[in-house]
Amino acid sequence: MKTQALLLALASLRLAAPALSAASGHACCDAAPAAAAPLSDRSLYQLDAIWTDDTGAAVKLAELRGRPVVLAMFFASCTYACPILVHDLQAIRDALPAETRARTKFVLVSFDSDRDTAAALHAYRGKLQLDAGWTLLRGADADIQELAMLLGVKYRRDANGDFSHSNLVTILNAQGEIALQREGLRGETGPAVRAIALAAP
Amino acid sequence: MRPIRRCLALACVLALGTLRAGSADADGMVSIPAGTYAPLLRDRNDPPTVDVAAFHLDVRPVTNAEFLAFVTANPGWRRSHVSPLFADAGYLGDWAGDLDPGPGAPAAAPVVRVSWFAARAYAAWRGRRLPTTAEWERAAAAGYTTDDGATEPAYRDAMLAWFARPTPSPLPAAGATRPNRLGVRDLAVLVWEWTSDFNTALVTGESRSDTGLDRNLFCGAGAAGARDLTNYPAFMRAGFRSSLRASYVVPNLGFRCAR
Repeated sequence: MKTQALLLALASLRLAAPALSAASGHACCDAAPAAAAPLSDRSLYQLDAIWTDDTGAAVKLAELRGRPVVLAMFFASCTYACPILVHDLQAIRDALPAETRARTKFVLVSFDSDRDTAAALHAYRGKLQLDAGWTLLRGADADIQELAMLLGVKYRRDANGDFSHSNLVTILNAQGEIALQREGLRGETGPAVRAIALAAP
Repeated sequence: MRPIRRCLALACVLALGTLRAGSADADGMVSIPAGTYAPLLRDRNDPPTVDVAAFHLDVRPVTNAEFLAFVTANPGWRRSHVSPLFADAGYLGDWAGDLDPGPGAPAAAPVVRVSWFAARAYAAWRGRRLPTTAEWERAAAAGYTTDDGATEPAYRDAMLAWFARPTPSPLPAAGATRPNRLGVRDLAVLVWEWTSDFNTALVTGESRSDTGLDRNLFCGAGAAGARDLTNYPAFMRAGFRSSLRASYVVPNLGFRCAR
């Protein structure tokens, strides 16, 4: 019975998916005046890794260029701190001025290459009611490790497949360079909001 | 000589050469048999020991000469070319130039001031990889004469003495210290060494009763606690690893490869 309800919910989400992916805005569809200039050597958008979003589409981080990005790493099965982390990010988002909020992308990258399939991420989006301003990504273990290493996120896979990880929120400027990082949950939103405002081109 | 006899002769020479070098193969690696490792830091849900599959480990850390060959073949990893994302300022800072280690970095000495990204790229270039922390510690747990170096005063004291000495400049040649029972040299007595998963050490405090523990910093059932504080060298290594970030370069941090 529960399974049927879940399948029904997933089916309805999949029907909505095309609308979501169009609204989530790949770089081709958004004005990105800074896109012509070469990336600095501090830009994370130099990375070639190909991720998959929750609609199954292939995504490179470079497609986020041209807007501020708030990025965190998580896994969908987390019941301990990750829901609070997302809530924390939503608080930052709510504190943004409307115009900045519309331009800022909130990106969650999963540690869990085994369980966090595109469908699982899509279910997570539905569960937490994350709108088109959020991008959820999954990828290969080597790419997850490379990104975590570049961000300074510590993580380890436990014996039961869950992840212990640091709770680091990273703000990237429009060029993909790290503008600000914040460790921990339930901090003040002020510094993050200011950094995002500065990061908006 | 006919080709087949030439082949046999060559094979004999190679085999003898290998035997003379001890148990190291022609590539400077030794075979580490499968075993277990008791992690110093572990989550309370984790088992006390971890199985480590058989693998190969470099007998000694990678040298300046070897790293020079790498940057010669890979210009993107030269000091003046490397991206600051992948190595902090100070990368190969003791070298005289991009392709010149110079007197401060003797050819046979271990290469230091290299980031995790650079070490990983070198290992991949050699068709190898960085050892995991479990693999490295498993190799280092063996003493000179027994399987448990912590019980051998000479083995333990060599590690403790290393902490007490300032880093010599320039560093001495790699591969000159006494091999342990597995045939590996220079473990924890020459330079700190990168591992592939150094960022798994989530050190927050030595026990769950630590009132300074900030649980907001880490997600997990409770971050790992220290199992045994009497193994001072292992504890120091765990603490050191937990302080690292992948782009860091440190004057006495090098690496060796595994396969």
